[in-house]
Amino acid sequence: MLPFKVQFRPGISPYRQIIYAVEKSIVCGQLRPGDPFPSVRVLSQTCKINPNTAHKAVADLTRRGLLEVRPGIGTVVAEAPRALPRERSVLLKEDLEHLVVEAKRVSLDLDDLLAAVEAHWNRLTSSRMADSAAETLKEKP
Amino acid sequence: MNPALSFENLSQRYGRLEALHELNLTVPRGSLYALLGPNGAGKTTAIHVLMNLLAPSEGSAAALGVDSTRLGPAELAQIGYVSENQKLPGWMTVEQLLAFCKPLYRTWDDDLCRKLMRGFDLAPERKVKSLSRGMKLKAAMVTALAFHPRLLILDEPFSGLDVVVRDELVRGMLELADQDEWTLFISSHDLEEIENLVDRVGFLNEGKLLLSEELDQLRARLCEVEVTLPTDAHIPDEWPAAWLFPQASRNVIRFTDSDYNEGASAALVARIFPEATDSSVTPLSLRSIFITLARQSAGAAAKEV
Repeated sequence: MLPFKVQFRPGISPYRQIIYAVEKSIVCGQLRPGDPFPSVRVLSQTCKINPNTAHKAVADLTRRGLLEVRPGIGTVVAEAPRALPRERSVLLKEDLEHLVVEAKRVSLDLDDLLAAVEAHWNRLTSSRMADSAAETLKEKP
Repeated sequence: MNPALSFENLSQRYGRLEALHELNLTVPRGSLYALLGPNGAGKTTAIHVLMNLLAPSEGSAAALGVDSTRLGPAELAQIGYVSENQKLPGWMTVEQLLAFCKPLYRTWDDDLCRKLMRGFDLAPERKVKSLSRGMKLKAAMVTALAFHPRLLILDEPFSGLDVVVRDELVRGMLELADQDEWTLFISSHDLEEIENLVDRVGFLNEGKLLLSEELDQLRARLCEVEVTLPTDAHIPDEWPAAWLFPQASRNVIRFTDSDYNEGASAALVARIFPEATDSSVTPLSLRSIFITLARQSAGAAAKEV
């Protein structure tokens, strides 16, 4: 079984879908630092994707510091990497502008948009907190 | 470097019937290529020529850099080939079949063979003739994969098989994923199975190759566009040739853009429908792309008559 969830939608490149699924699992805490990450073969067999796509996705995630290769162990989820300044600026400028344009196009007002952003923020954070709370309970004798 | 396989001006005639017309197609090494097309399009004929089961009427085919009519043991020991109606010696058990194939391949891998047998749930003591269709195909697949082929050729491997068997077959072939270099050439019309698997597709119809293109490029180029208008919609007189199959229903016009490009297409929509209140673009699945191409070529054929 894969340690993250991915449901392929047709017409979108599977490469982008894999990357997004892994990033999402990491921010939600479903994937934690040190967790083993599947090999290219297992990834391509389980998702029925082109091995070259699987290879490219793992290489990209490794290059960006989300995964790391530990000799003798294999690929694991890396310690939470600091986002590159360029990534932050893309998010804060281009991606946010895109969101605001879309929101205005469908005539959402700012409060609705902020509320929706907050709801998503909380949903992704709370699944992480619930997990770590469960972990803390487990650790107690 | 030589491509994994190629066809050059290949035409194939059975009496007066032309099954292939000037097929030109190259599959680079390391590519996973799907040859798509309706029944009777010429896919199996092309593969038979490639595997030297048929002599070409005109033109040529080559596998691993060697002309198909001169394929010898050195090349065949690196090519795995399974066809829809694979003939296997029925009197052998699965184990005997594998023992028979093994000495033919210097690169035969017993570990991989055992792994595939387990994955396919194949019983070694069963007689081949007593196997179901799916089991027979799985046995053939073991003999084609266990020696780490550099070129794997599959002719309609999924047709008539249930989803569980299809899934097992795909997993089986992806056992090769770790291998340095291997090329897949698969003919199929089971599109869901290969949607995310292949990186290039060719589309063959009535013996003619309509396109051969990278799948990502094809996905980016073909989209469904929906335009919403303030009033009842009718298809305007000025209509770009790349916009296929327009349909109007109430105030919505829908069509397939076969030459989509984010900026330019939006500008074109804005020019042709200045009064549009909304427009949306949806990517197409491989299945929809296939249907679009089939309809497009049927339309073009109708115009020629």
